[in-house]
Amino acid sequence: MHYQHNRTLALFYCQNVPGAGERERIGLEKEYGQCIRFYPIACSGRLEPVHLLSALENFADAAYLITCPEGMCRYFEGNLRAIKRVMRTQDIISGIGLEKERVGIITGSKEGPKTLAELAKEIFDKVLQMEPSPVLGKGERSYDYCATEAH
Amino acid sequence: MKDVSRLKSVLEKGGFAVTSECGPPKGADPQAVLRKTELLRGKVDSVNVTDNQTAIVRMSSLAACCLIKKAGLDPVLQMVVRDRNRIALQSDILGASAIGIRNVLCLSGDHQSFGNQPDAVGVFDLDSIQFVQAVRNMRDQGIIVGGEPLSHPPDMFTGAAANPFADPMDFRVVRLAKKINAGADFIQTQCIYNMERFDRWLGIARDRGLTEKAYILGGVTPLKSAGMARYMKTRVSGMDVPDQLIRRMEGVSKDKQREEGISICVETIERLKQTPGIRGVHIMAIEWEEAVGEIAERAGLLPRPVIDDQ
Amino acid sequence: MITAQQKPIDEIRGMLVPYKRILVLGCASCVAECAAGGQKETAMLASTLRMKAKMNNEDVIIQEHTLDRQCVKDFVVTLDDIIGSYDAVLSLGCGAGVQAVAEMFSEIPVIPGLNTEFIGETRAQGLWVENCLGCGDCMLYYFGGVCPLARCSKQLFNGPCGGSVGGKCEINPDVDCAWQKIIDRLSRFGALDRLETIYPPKNWSRKQGGGPRKIIREDQQR
Repeated sequence: MHYQHNRTLALFYCQNVPGAGERERIGLEKEYGQCIRFYPIACSGRLEPVHLLSALENFADAAYLITCPEGMCRYFEGNLRAIKRVMRTQDIISGIGLEKERVGIITGSKEGPKTLAELAKEIFDKVLQMEPSPVLGKGERSYDYCATEAH
Repeated sequence: MKDVSRLKSVLEKGGFAVTSECGPPKGADPQAVLRKTELLRGKVDSVNVTDNQTAIVRMSSLAACCLIKKAGLDPVLQMVVRDRNRIALQSDILGASAIGIRNVLCLSGDHQSFGNQPDAVGVFDLDSIQFVQAVRNMRDQGIIVGGEPLSHPPDMFTGAAANPFADPMDFRVVRLAKKINAGADFIQTQCIYNMERFDRWLGIARDRGLTEKAYILGGVTPLKSAGMARYMKTRVSGMDVPDQLIRRMEGVSKDKQREEGISICVETIERLKQTPGIRGVHIMAIEWEEAVGEIAERAGLLPRPVIDDQ
Repeated sequence: MITAQQKPIDEIRGMLVPYKRILVLGCASCVAECAAGGQKETAMLASTLRMKAKMNNEDVIIQEHTLDRQCVKDFVVTLDDIIGSYDAVLSLGCGAGVQAVAEMFSEIPVIPGLNTEFIGETRAQGLWVENCLGCGDCMLYYFGGVCPLARCSKQLFNGPCGGSVGGKCEINPDVDCAWQKIIDRLSRFGALDRLETIYPPKNWSRKQGGGPRKIIREDQQR
């Protein structure tokens, strides 16, 4: 199945998230095509605001981060630091008039862990509700672009 | 008539001095100063004139002192180091002396962030102790900071403030000693509500011989309400209002609280009068100058002695 | 080190209005340590400005570059090759960096992107505190290694004032009373008697009385 939508999500995720292996990622990339770009990172604490900003500037309508559950970080507090960095990024983009929701963070749950595939779908469904990013403009990002890339 | 400090005369003659204060108005009307002054005439020896207190812009202390002097009372010029550098401070001392002002109280001043000009620069070129020393050197040695001589020295009875209730407690008397060694002739203290703590502080000062070197006037402020007592306890740094006193204020009905505040104040003065090393009282009735006469009367401080000015 | 914080984005954009080709210039020294103007922050600000320009359909070129030290001529001179492509520099250096760049390139406007704050230390990650005013006449010996000029709100040389309570300053309970620290430290070394003498009025000519200061060291010159 192909998602044929004119939105792009930059999805950064901790490799600790269930179902976040190499094989699963390749499968998801096939499924979503250019609509979601997947960026596995060793620890969500390594993500810097500049990565999120760069994604929003260059191709993404939204940039999200998925972390491992609280207390499960291999580096102890990587996922806690990630929250603060995402909040800082939200402040920066709202300073130029972009909606805060274009950047977000999902902290995995210990009790009911979800797979990368499930979370990707949830986040992307949310992105589909958003207007196209005013940074990227409506015109350039046609339905065809996404659809073509997806094949 | 020669200009003399009435405060100095009373103290030197061994009297128990009474001072009060007058906050200049947030405006240029001289009557605002004179109205307050009239409430104090005959009730006190000298009137402290605050210097942009709580860092709020008001009529200058020097000008208000001049008005009070003309009205025939003895002003104490309060000067803070927050707003003027050493050039301006020393210049104002000379000017004040020239117009017959004979008392100065050298203070740090409330920080500018508290007032209505929080964007102002805080000067703090000298601190209050260095300022006391500068005034004394001007008066006694006829020199300014740096050693240059004056053509004519100022005549200033020089005072400083002390807060027995701030921290660190052990260091409070050391700081008093520094102020007295710097040349303070008299000391006016922060409002006293905790008499036990005040006695401890004064005891150490007495042991160090400080009460022999300077005249110490205990500060008192009548409480207007239980709310004011609570506010002073919790919101004013370096103010010690014991819970027992707050309960006493709360124990009377609202319309009787002012009366109770005056009674507490009178009792404090009665104790201060019996305290060795205390040479007077400084009654700070904040925006309540009417109360000063009643307090002085009930505390047996009236009539004020007649000083021969000739 | 010198600490700084980025100016609000609207203020920065306001200053950039007349310019079409902008170089956002970072500095990898002090302002990188305080996370205000290093390579990372320079990239973030440039990206943010480009996004805003795109949102407004503004036709501008915004590029970034970071020098090792903006306040040292030997580093600033390396801009010679690229600066011709721009009609303004948005400097993320401290005030010294901004002026060093401006001094060297007199034809091009250099706009400050930071507010330079103070000389301070990094006390913890994300926490910088002021502790030196650069007065030109260090008094730390007398005050047990705590500067009353930089750290007492009233710059008292003979403190503490009557507003010191529980080790905190009257202006704000988040501010430590420098004088409590001075007294605590000196009593630990048994040197509290240093405070019995009156510290004399400060010689401010070492800081500002002589106009802008300069250090000349012939042995360091070519």
